[in-house]
Amino acid sequence: MGKVLVITSGKGGVGKTTTTANLGTGLAAAGKKVCLVDTDIGLRNLDVVLGLENRIVYDLLDVVEGNCRLRQALIKDKNFGESLVLLPAAQTREKDAVTPQQMVDLMAQLREDYDFIILDSPAGIEHGFKNAIAGADAAIVVTTPEISAVRDADRIIGLLEAAELYDPQLIINRVRPDMVRKGDMMDINDIDDILAISILGVIPDDQDIIVSTNRGETVVTDKKSRPGQAYRNVVRRILGEDVPFMDLQERKVMHWFKKILSGEAQ
Amino acid sequence: MNTELCAIKGTREGLVITIRDAVQFSEVLVSLERQLLASQSFFRGSSAKLYLQEGTLTDSQMDEIERLIADYGMRLNREPLTVQMPRPQAEQVATETSEVREDNTLLVRRTIRSGQRLHYDGNVVVMGDVNPGAEIVCTGDILVLGSLRGVAHAGAEGKVDATVFAFRLEPTQLRIAHVISRAPDEKLPQPSGPEIARVVENSIQLSVYNH
Repeated sequence: MGKVLVITSGKGGVGKTTTTANLGTGLAAAGKKVCLVDTDIGLRNLDVVLGLENRIVYDLLDVVEGNCRLRQALIKDKNFGESLVLLPAAQTREKDAVTPQQMVDLMAQLREDYDFIILDSPAGIEHGFKNAIAGADAAIVVTTPEISAVRDADRIIGLLEAAELYDPQLIINRVRPDMVRKGDMMDINDIDDILAISILGVIPDDQDIIVSTNRGETVVTDKKSRPGQAYRNVVRRILGEDVPFMDLQERKVMHWFKKILSGEAQ
Repeated sequence: MNTELCAIKGTREGLVITIRDAVQFSEVLVSLERQLLASQSFFRGSSAKLYLQEGTLTDSQMDEIERLIADYGMRLNREPLTVQMPRPQAEQVATETSEVREDNTLLVRRTIRSGQRLHYDGNVVVMGDVNPGAEIVCTGDILVLGSLRGVAHAGAEGKVDATVFAFRLEPTQLRIAHVISRAPDEKLPQPSGPEIARVVENSIQLSVYNH
């Protein structure tokens, strides 16, 4: 029986889709069978981030409306094949074309064949959000160290509790240690103080993410990438390992150190 | 002050929908729906009893109310009330001494998060935080055994001797009866310990809590 995780945030642009793609790829790399579901009907982009856009024939709506069989709509990943598949969202329809009950039924089908089903929720708290959480067993809330994102995350946590999805876990994305140190960015403690839910991961901001996203690749498999390392740690925590949080400050020191060394060398 | 034909209030028996005048049934429904909309999913999953101040309801009217509140995730409990609901005076003038019964206190054992609103006729004790964007309105005192960072309105029906207490009192806005104060725009040092807010000469004053 697979586990259904929903990735949600309330606020748009905090990295839900990137997180979904990286956790999915990371879990597949760890040997799990994973199905990613894009529930952002009308504004899909999980397929783009994974570089699978040109392979879409059927979508989530075709499946729930019975236009095709579930297996026909699942798109195999370029690197992981059968063990990482995507169920894309419909692009040409409205969000209310799917009902929460249809999502629950769909999840029941997917649970049979996959170890993890990861739902990428749309921004907002309306119909699309309700669809995304309807069939989920657990929720991961993504936020960035900004007051507005944290406020929306708080709202989402309240709504998740009202929908009986208790104990959501938090991923804090795009943390810039240099700004935190100068006091220009909320630090982890400030966020934890307000949200008070367990933290699943802290992802440093890095230009690797933008580069890889634009190429339709994920950073989680890039051994040299810092956010990739952070996502790999999150994957291990999801699999039940106790992984210490990486020291974001340390890198800065190393970075300076390397800079000085290379400067001297030249 | 309150022109609504019905009100949803928390009592010791759970939620009670008070209907002021059942004769104007269609307007009662409109008023009820407006309040359900305003509270969003706050009442979801709870059941409510009905209390009629004037007139009676037919079975089909009861069914209609049941259907309406079911849309907001509430159930109708048709059993009669066992507690006495306070009867509003002919003209509900908010007096300075409007008494809140000491035993009418709601205990909330969780954090109230952004977008959640809590309205209660009595005192409210929160064992948790009240986050920014959350709101508590009640007719009595407010005690927060945690951080109060949202909006709190104590003594909402005119009780000026109501107080607001919190382990960390850093509200976005504080209201006691008709007096409103907000957090200063510049950042203040964090309070070192529990504080209590009360009205002193028409403005809200915060002081360190010494019992």
